[in-house]
Amino acid sequence: MGPDSAPGPAVPWQKVLWEHQPFPDNYVDERFLEELRRNVGIRQYQYWAVVKEAGFVGQQLSCVAIFITLWLYMEQGLLPPELLLLTSLVCALLGYGLHQALKSQVESSCEPRTYMADLQSASIFLSFTFGFSPVLKTLTESVSTDTVYAMSAVMLLAHLVAFPYAQPSPPGSLSLNAALFASVCLASRLPGALHTFTMLSCALLVFALWPCLLKRLRANAPRQFTGVCVGVCLGGVGGLGSQSPAGAVLLALALGGVTLLCPLLLVRLQRHKDNIHGPWDEAEIHEDISRFLQ
Amino acid sequence: MGQRRRVAAVNNLSSQHISGSPAEVVGDSSRKHNICMVSDFFYPNMGGVESHIYQLSQCLIEKGHKVVIATHAYGRRKGIRYLTNGLKVYYLPLQVMYNQSTATTCFHSLPLLRCVFVRERITVVHAHSSFSAMAHDALFHAKTMGLNTVFTDHSLFGFADVSSVLTNKLLTVSLCDTNHIVCVSYTSKENTVLRAVLNPEIVSVIPNAVDPTDFTPDPSQRPNDRITIVVISRLVYRKGIDLLGGIIPELCLKHPDLHFLIGGEGPKRIVLEEVREKYQLHDRVRLLGALEHKDVRGVLVQGHIFLNTSLTEAFCMAIVEGASCGLQVVSTRVGGIPEVLPDDLITLCEPTVRSLCAGLEEVIARQRSGSVSSPASIHARVQKLYTWRNVAERTEKVYDRVAGEEVLPLDRRLRRLRSHCGPVAGSIFAFVAVIDFLFLLLLQWLLPDRVMDVAVDATGPHGQWRQDTSKTRSHSKCAMKQAAKTEMFL
Repeated sequence: MGPDSAPGPAVPWQKVLWEHQPFPDNYVDERFLEELRRNVGIRQYQYWAVVKEAGFVGQQLSCVAIFITLWLYMEQGLLPPELLLLTSLVCALLGYGLHQALKSQVESSCEPRTYMADLQSASIFLSFTFGFSPVLKTLTESVSTDTVYAMSAVMLLAHLVAFPYAQPSPPGSLSLNAALFASVCLASRLPGALHTFTMLSCALLVFALWPCLLKRLRANAPRQFTGVCVGVCLGGVGGLGSQSPAGAVLLALALGGVTLLCPLLLVRLQRHKDNIHGPWDEAEIHEDISRFLQ
Repeated sequence: MGQRRRVAAVNNLSSQHISGSPAEVVGDSSRKHNICMVSDFFYPNMGGVESHIYQLSQCLIEKGHKVVIATHAYGRRKGIRYLTNGLKVYYLPLQVMYNQSTATTCFHSLPLLRCVFVRERITVVHAHSSFSAMAHDALFHAKTMGLNTVFTDHSLFGFADVSSVLTNKLLTVSLCDTNHIVCVSYTSKENTVLRAVLNPEIVSVIPNAVDPTDFTPDPSQRPNDRITIVVISRLVYRKGIDLLGGIIPELCLKHPDLHFLIGGEGPKRIVLEEVREKYQLHDRVRLLGALEHKDVRGVLVQGHIFLNTSLTEAFCMAIVEGASCGLQVVSTRVGGIPEVLPDDLITLCEPTVRSLCAGLEEVIARQRSGSVSSPASIHARVQKLYTWRNVAERTEKVYDRVAGEEVLPLDRRLRRLRSHCGPVAGSIFAFVAVIDFLFLLLLQWLLPDRVMDVAVDATGPHGQWRQDTSKTRSHSKCAMKQAAKTEMFL
């Protein structure tokens, strides 16, 4: 049958190719596109639920701001490294305790890391950082300060962009590495070797350990998690405000945009969503195929 | 939002056309066409598109049309080659970019393609495959030159991700003023109509075919002490090889006499090798590697069951080939596959390991109890379903219809581009169309059409290709030599 031959008789059209049907090849039946589905499995968002989730992004932004504030204080000599070191130690111990406490509630089934192992990795890390801090201090001496700042800014941005906000895992390697790179750059501009060591320990605390604790908090105590996020945001804005009011205003605007405006946009634009699905879609494999290889 | 508009537009168009003008007069059916098939994909590359172009061309030549093929140069295979029955193939020196698809600038292929179209006196340009940049280029230039255009879409595409949004837009631009579109299944038609926002009336469904004489059953090749499942497919994600990796251990543990014979090559081979290693199935799962087309039948006839695990498929020739060799076919229910074979020749399953295993178990049980139809009777049924002659006849009707249609002149083409493809893309491509037109004028001024040599016809009404008598053969050989001489320019 070619296109546009005689109009078909009263036989119903079938969506099959194996039968030679009395219809032209370009025949369009009423059933054309009947299997078209719109917006299958669409998620309806609630504004405040999205705001809560976005708060996590906001607090990570504030973490970076807090880190920069600390660095500013150190660089101007307003904050003695010993004090920061002591505070960090206390925070780390408190956080560790909290981490352990939250762990015992849920994941008792899988093999826990021993205290000994934790202590071992902490001491390895600290001793190496301490040993290498004189080297790290002079690492970027031959590089101009502007370059170092620019590099740090780019790397901190990369940290924020690559941070795994969605999946509950420790910070991804790209985001963690970018943040540590930025902290090494910044720390090398500080006046002394102890300053450098302090700054790097602080960076580990903020960029590596804090997200781990936060992830656990999010899983086990969602209500407190929201409070912590708000607290960190306020802390970030306040801290930055004491050094640079303009920076604090910018940060507050960014936080407002990320946590309030973007969710509003997402919820508002949702009704314009129009996804089409049909038999032509590539099937997805939902099963875990890798189980056959384990 | 765009998609809502898209669906609405399609519905509007279809309803207008169904209620509106009656079918126009079909052109004279005895009319012969000069057809140029254009695609990036042709022999020595192997696949569904390639064999479709070749077989369709051969059948059209048989019907007295003149057919030439234009593709890009494959390695040292460039210039002009003649295939069986004088099918002339132009391997044009265009740069290949990715996956055997040429790079496109919209313009640089115009001089060469114009040469081919003018010298061969082409009347219909038939482009194949939406993955082929050269096909889209050829459509674009053909419209600039005022030639009728036909496009065959061989694949399905989604709507969800960024890459498909982009390619769908390009397809919309490319097809908005193409005279007629051919799809290989109804699902493929729905997909193409939605992707390119087309009037469904200008889209015909003409299925692929298989050569039934190539795929005949031979039950003597089957070992009696075992049941063999044959899989022939490229080993890539889209063919569902991960599912196959789950099916093999499940079934092999249950049925000790079950063997797998897997033909094809690809990045997912490692999955199958790992499974084979882990479950120690080296004697029961054979990986044959890449197969040549002529060896496929030899593998198929060794099996009892043909398994296809594709995740998406517009037509799927493989299951027809399997059925033609008399095998029981088990396949996933995706894309156009449910349209291809009647229910008693195929067992359709959902694309999950569990469903496929259940389907296979059922067929294995039937096979053991001997309640399946004989290979010969399956072959007898399948061989009449899809033939290239039938495909050629139906395609010929498309050409007849297209030949009677007008090609949009430049002003209306620009208006159509802008009204159909959105203000931004429409304007950009309208601009490109104008540049293409000016470029064509420049070429026509540099080398006017009338001073261009007319190529010797190997096929068509005045075809010089003869193989019946020795006299004419020597004559035609001379002609060919002459032709080859005049065509050394490439």
